[in-house]
Amino acid sequence: MASSFGETDQVLVEEKSSTRIFTLNRPKQLNAASFTMVSRLLELFLACEEDPSVKLIILKGKGRAFCAGGDVAAVVRDITQGHWKLGANFFRREFILNYVMATYSKPQVSILNGIVMGGGAGVSIHGRFRVATENSLFAMPETALGLFPDVGASYFLSRLPGFFGEYVGLIGARLDGAEMLACGLATHFVLSEKLSLLEDALCKADSSDPAVISATISEFSLAPSLKEKSACHRLNIINKCFSRRTIEEIILALEREAADKEDEWISSTIQSLKKASPTSLKISLRSIREGRLQGVGKCLVREYRMVCNVMQGETSKDFFEGCRAILVDKDKNPKWEPSKLEQVTEDMVDRYFSKINDKDWEDLNLPRRLNIPPHAIAKL
Amino acid sequence: MEKVNFRTQVLTGHLQNHRHATTTIYPSPCVSYVPPEISEQPFSFDVSSMRKLMDGHNLGDRDWLFNLMVQSKLFNPRLRGGKVFVVPDYNHSMEQQREITMKRIEYLLDHGAFEGWLTGKGPEAEMKKFALLEVIEIFDHSLAIKIGVHFFLWGGAIQFFGTKRHHDKWLRATENYLIKGCFAMTELGHGSNVRGIETTATYEANTGEFVINTPCESAQKYWIGGAANHATHTVVFSQLNVDGNNQGVHAFITQIRDENGNICPNIRIADCGHKIGLNGVDNGRIWFDNVRIPRENLLNSVADVSTDGKYLSAIKDPDQRFAAFLAPLTSGRVTIAVSAVYSAKISLAIAIRYSLTRRAFSITANGPELLLLDYPSHQRRLLPLLAKTYAMSFASNYLKLLYIKRSPQLIKTIHVVSSAFKATLTWHNMRTLQECREACGGQGLKTENRIGQMKGEYDVQSTFEGDNNVLMQQVSKALLAEYVAAKKRNKPFKELGLEHMNRSCPVIPAQLASSTLRSTQFQNDIFCLRERDLLNRFAAEVSQYQAHGESKESAFVVSYQVAEDLGKAFSDRAILQSAIEAENNVKDASLKNILALLRSMYVLVTLEEDAAFLRYGYLSTDNAAAVRKEVAKLCSEIRPQALALVSSFGIPDAFLSPIAFDWVAANSWSTVQN
Repeated sequence: MASSFGETDQVLVEEKSSTRIFTLNRPKQLNAASFTMVSRLLELFLACEEDPSVKLIILKGKGRAFCAGGDVAAVVRDITQGHWKLGANFFRREFILNYVMATYSKPQVSILNGIVMGGGAGVSIHGRFRVATENSLFAMPETALGLFPDVGASYFLSRLPGFFGEYVGLIGARLDGAEMLACGLATHFVLSEKLSLLEDALCKADSSDPAVISATISEFSLAPSLKEKSACHRLNIINKCFSRRTIEEIILALEREAADKEDEWISSTIQSLKKASPTSLKISLRSIREGRLQGVGKCLVREYRMVCNVMQGETSKDFFEGCRAILVDKDKNPKWEPSKLEQVTEDMVDRYFSKINDKDWEDLNLPRRLNIPPHAIAKL
Repeated sequence: MEKVNFRTQVLTGHLQNHRHATTTIYPSPCVSYVPPEISEQPFSFDVSSMRKLMDGHNLGDRDWLFNLMVQSKLFNPRLRGGKVFVVPDYNHSMEQQREITMKRIEYLLDHGAFEGWLTGKGPEAEMKKFALLEVIEIFDHSLAIKIGVHFFLWGGAIQFFGTKRHHDKWLRATENYLIKGCFAMTELGHGSNVRGIETTATYEANTGEFVINTPCESAQKYWIGGAANHATHTVVFSQLNVDGNNQGVHAFITQIRDENGNICPNIRIADCGHKIGLNGVDNGRIWFDNVRIPRENLLNSVADVSTDGKYLSAIKDPDQRFAAFLAPLTSGRVTIAVSAVYSAKISLAIAIRYSLTRRAFSITANGPELLLLDYPSHQRRLLPLLAKTYAMSFASNYLKLLYIKRSPQLIKTIHVVSSAFKATLTWHNMRTLQECREACGGQGLKTENRIGQMKGEYDVQSTFEGDNNVLMQQVSKALLAEYVAAKKRNKPFKELGLEHMNRSCPVIPAQLASSTLRSTQFQNDIFCLRERDLLNRFAAEVSQYQAHGESKESAFVVSYQVAEDLGKAFSDRAILQSAIEAENNVKDASLKNILALLRSMYVLVTLEEDAAFLRYGYLSTDNAAAVRKEVAKLCSEIRPQALALVSSFGIPDAFLSPIAFDWVAANSWSTVQN
């Protein structure tokens, strides 16, 4: 049904019996989620929810990525050429899409056959089924970019076992398909060569029953083994260090571990923390800690406040510096300001969680949903 | 091993998720659950600002500790209706509850939760300690009490009764749980009357030792938290005998178990047995059979014994010495008062959320059944308790700050206010728990829904750290002493909030309009009027008995009726003033509006419930009728804000209970097929 050109091109739509297959279609940009793509997806999801003939949605990406994240470069361009509120429009639309997916009444199966980063996680992890493959590569790399794990990550990262979510979110750790399955980010693991068979089977299943869908995917699934150096083998040390109250204490705990024994994994973990934006680290940790006690709606409202504060740039301009160093100039040498953790005070962190002082600005207004699964609701 | 557990956990998560999904995707055609977040109006004020105001301090530390508990299997997470709840398994035996409580303490210790609790200095460290204890209490009273005994009673005794030599030796060791402390004050024969205890400590100058002895069965130490299983050391309260003279009650450090947990020679320990609640705390009984301890083990901040057996104290008057000695123990009453408010918050959050989703009876033909909270009678049961809980929450914050800035000048005020608040707030909690239990109907009886169980867990609060009735009598006595002193010296009142007695007597209008009833001026006036009149009456009654030859003590005993009314009057007035102060400090108009409604509800429901206002004529019967009408009106005005008000309590979902959320899913057949 999709037209061959124009806006809708960014998402290809196939109808197979009661199944709708949406394919993210910006392969050259690794399917980076643009304003157009996000808007189109939202439109499609809302329409399919109303349409009684649709029972199942499959979401996948064209090319070697599922989705490498939000189109941050475009956002930054909009902000520098115009106003930060143009950026806010993008995030507002994206977060509402995340919310609709998290509270969706029909099963969504995301095929994560490639890169899943940032905004890519946002359009998949909130859905019911996430199928990883041997090509999956997951990361929330925002702290290296002067941002923080958004798109509802404070909700889903905080629900990973122990304090693995803090590790993944603060470090920007890269996980493969086996690791995604082990920590719960993926619900199934299927070899990429089986994906087209899986798709056919799902269409044939003609069902909205999660138990049926799950059983269908399971027929193609296997239990991959974790690589020897996987962080999933390090859960004890991760829990011990990443459960600490502050970033400073986390680093101290890691350094104490490193002093006990020479360990490459620990030193590279410490390195990642020292390279990331100090402001990003602090607001990310607090966001995950608050997120663990909140429902997905509250998480998105808070993250929207945070992202607006980041774009407004009154406390720190690390986001722009990060984008310059990583995406534009690609010198990979961002100059963070403040440059040291101890310079980022509690007051500064507080500001990211406050409303924007601007009479035209509003909190994220979540659509009223008919069906909110109870795990999506928290009152704090 | 780690890997296997990790995988199992994840796989279980997936399976449970699917089962839950069935229930939401195909809702039952019968009674279905609609989350109050969907059915209720959007909030009229910012819930996180209100939470900030109520919790008051250390929000990040609180959330961090909630996180630590939620992420550990030790805190018994259970998936019910698609959400994870952490609540102790009260179906465990007493021994199991004690063991898991100790394991939870070790987990918190390993994660640094107690860092600085005894070695930290200054108000910040104290406030942080309070905040973390409050969070622990929200999970389980046993856990908080076991920790409280170790840090606040044993640790507090070392800090306040001890001197440098004790601090150096014990504080860090206590903070790291290298030793486990308990606090042996109460005896079988003496509880509130500490000065009557019978355990003895006799100094032997030739050996330089004290000999601790339990002379009779009524002198056995009783209810000693930690003594039955875990404690290695105790502070023993004993009558000190030096050179044949009794110098009154003093405190001594005594080891009761070795590092392997074996009971020391000449010590006998028995269990207090199964209790109606707090079974995670190992309360025990201790007998001392001429136990010898070195002279240095006397906690000597107030008085000491020299090597050659001379009793030395800067405070000569034994009454004053005893008062100075016990003054630091106020921290226990502070933490109890605060925790009573959090307990009330938990039960109200659960009962009100349930009442916004549970329906019963329709009042129109074929109409839908009505939400419980849409019945005015149900509003009248829960919303006044909600308003009182808000007022008392501000009162408990005030009490904490008062305690933190303690000084010799403030000792009396702290003693009186903490006594009054401890009694009033714990009584309020028990009443709230009972009402909320009933408001949840049968669901309130399940221990997984917390409220019913909490009645047993929190009942002890009206008894420990001073029996509530005894404390309230002490409040009245202190007020009378203040009164007598002011009259005798013909000086104005300037302590205990009695300054209003210096002004002319407030006049209550003959006709109370709604706007008057809701004015701070009127509310303050009528509470002050009651306190002033009752204090005058109490003074008159006591002096009348004394004029007839009764002793001061027996005059107090027979004047108990006015004394009781006066204690309440003092407490209510002090609570109101802290609520008004909190309200005045708020700038945001939407918060101010709702706080004003709650304050009016607090006052008017007190006027309605306390017979003293009619008994002594502060309210005419017409005015009492006007008050009653206004209470009903306030109920309907607070009703739309009920969800926002309980959401502001800052208690994460996981610490509430299944009936506060999707109770249909939590009870569905699919959850039975496990």
